[in-house]
Amino acid sequence: MTEESKETTVKPSAETAVNTETQPKEEQPDPKKEAAQKVLDRIRGLIVQELGDHVLEDALLMKHQPTFVVKRDHWLQTVQLLRHHDALGFDYPEAMAGTDYPANGYIEVILYVYSMNHNELIAVKTRTPRDNAELQSLSYVYQGLNWEEREIYDLVGVKFTGHPDLRRIMMPEDYEGHPLRKDFSVWKE
Amino acid sequence: MAELRTEEMLLNVGPQHPSTHGVLRVVIKLDGEIIREATPVIGYLHRGTEKLSEDLQYQQIIPYFDRLDYISAMLNNHAIVNAVEKAMDIEIPERAEYLRVIVGELNRTAAHLLFVGAYLLDLGAMSPFLYVFMTRERIIELLNEISGARLTYNYMRVGGVKYDAPPGWFAKIREFIPYFKEMYQLFDDLITGNEIFISRVKGIGSYGQEEAINYGLSGIPLRSTGFKWDLRKNKSYSVYDRFDFEIPVGTNGDNYDRYYLHLLEMEQSMRIVEQAIDSIPEGPVMGKAPKILRIPAGEYYAAVEGAKGELGVYIVSDGKDKPYRMKIRRPSFVNLQIIPSLLKDQNIADFIAILGSIDIVLGEVDA
Repeated sequence: MTEESKETTVKPSAETAVNTETQPKEEQPDPKKEAAQKVLDRIRGLIVQELGDHVLEDALLMKHQPTFVVKRDHWLQTVQLLRHHDALGFDYPEAMAGTDYPANGYIEVILYVYSMNHNELIAVKTRTPRDNAELQSLSYVYQGLNWEEREIYDLVGVKFTGHPDLRRIMMPEDYEGHPLRKDFSVWKE
Repeated sequence: MAELRTEEMLLNVGPQHPSTHGVLRVVIKLDGEIIREATPVIGYLHRGTEKLSEDLQYQQIIPYFDRLDYISAMLNNHAIVNAVEKAMDIEIPERAEYLRVIVGELNRTAAHLLFVGAYLLDLGAMSPFLYVFMTRERIIELLNEISGARLTYNYMRVGGVKYDAPPGWFAKIREFIPYFKEMYQLFDDLITGNEIFISRVKGIGSYGQEEAINYGLSGIPLRSTGFKWDLRKNKSYSVYDRFDFEIPVGTNGDNYDRYYLHLLEMEQSMRIVEQAIDSIPEGPVMGKAPKILRIPAGEYYAAVEGAKGELGVYIVSDGKDKPYRMKIRRPSFVNLQIIPSLLKDQNIADFIAILGSIDIVLGEVDA
């Protein structure tokens, strides 16, 4: 038990190990990274052009993955643009997940969407405060997100406004609490 | 004649029902024999795999993945080790990649065989099930020999695979392939042209490409609409780009197409296995992976083509040896969502035929 916790706290050594691994790559430009950067710039340009500068909080590369952090109020609007704009056409919802960050006081919801026409995968995410966590539902944009949102509602505790059928999906209906929140105790007394 | 008094009837199917392939429950509103509304109720097999993962080191998570889609555990293994390796940029030995492909495709064949048998059993044909189990048993024996387990293999590791092939293992696969081809022909002759079977599946439960994409379907339910989408080709991983194989697609997106694609895919999987055992290089099966895996802080998503569709793993790491959050994109869960719209205004007699053709495993739906 103590050994294990020791190991998890030795973070610096892990970081240095990673640095030595990535160093040779940094010397020469990484073609994968450059391609991803291009996609990122292009889509950011289109979003800003169509909706304005204020909808985006951030646009970054997570490893080689173009990722857009959208402001909460513009969540539905931005995703609708990604889905319906001809030059974007992100028509395939690949994955959706919610993550609780109690230290920062918010819950993050991430959505991976793929464009079958352009063969591009991007991630869009948004943040909502932990108390009264609420987001606009995307289930009318992508029908496949209906259950994904129910699952996030059930396990992470984010309310999706405008969802046609927001009920618990995994846990029983009379269950209290949201198991994937970090303050959820598995050992309830 | 006096007006007949009619009213809707509520029919409960499952969770303990032989044709729901596990513990799926469907609440059906019936108008005579026509389904007006069908609501799936899931969660009876929810074990909280995602929550459990947060307390486990990456190598310890692998056996939990065995228990998602428990009839294609090798492919589940591949999903988790592939996600961790991509996140950490771990290269694994060639021989291990080939072994992963071989056991993965054998397992895919076993899973599809089970589908064919179970589907025909759902429709009332008993004998194909027995033939299918004869063939599947040979594959299970092969996988048992290399991994030591018949169903939950726990065979792959981050950095390679646990065991090299035992002596004579490849020769046994070579013996199995002609037997498989013979049986394949038998299934094709027995089932595909069968008049009764065709009348139960052809043109029933069909949907279009656009609908399938909007629902996020993957795997055979998506390919049955004619859309060519297979991660082994479209987002090639492991060494799949070295093999020559086709992605069969359907045309109508109906039950028949989904059934027949399972057959055709088995044939392609066997093609991959044949090529792989001929070209597998010598060498170690376990590469240099650190004893304690720490994924650099960040978020990662990687997916493989599972037996049911896109099996993805989303990992949030804070640099520790355990994931901060892990989300599993389960193809069965996503594919099952289309059921209410497929069943609407269908005859109750087609209920099992449509549900069965989507090919779900409840261990994966509920995670």
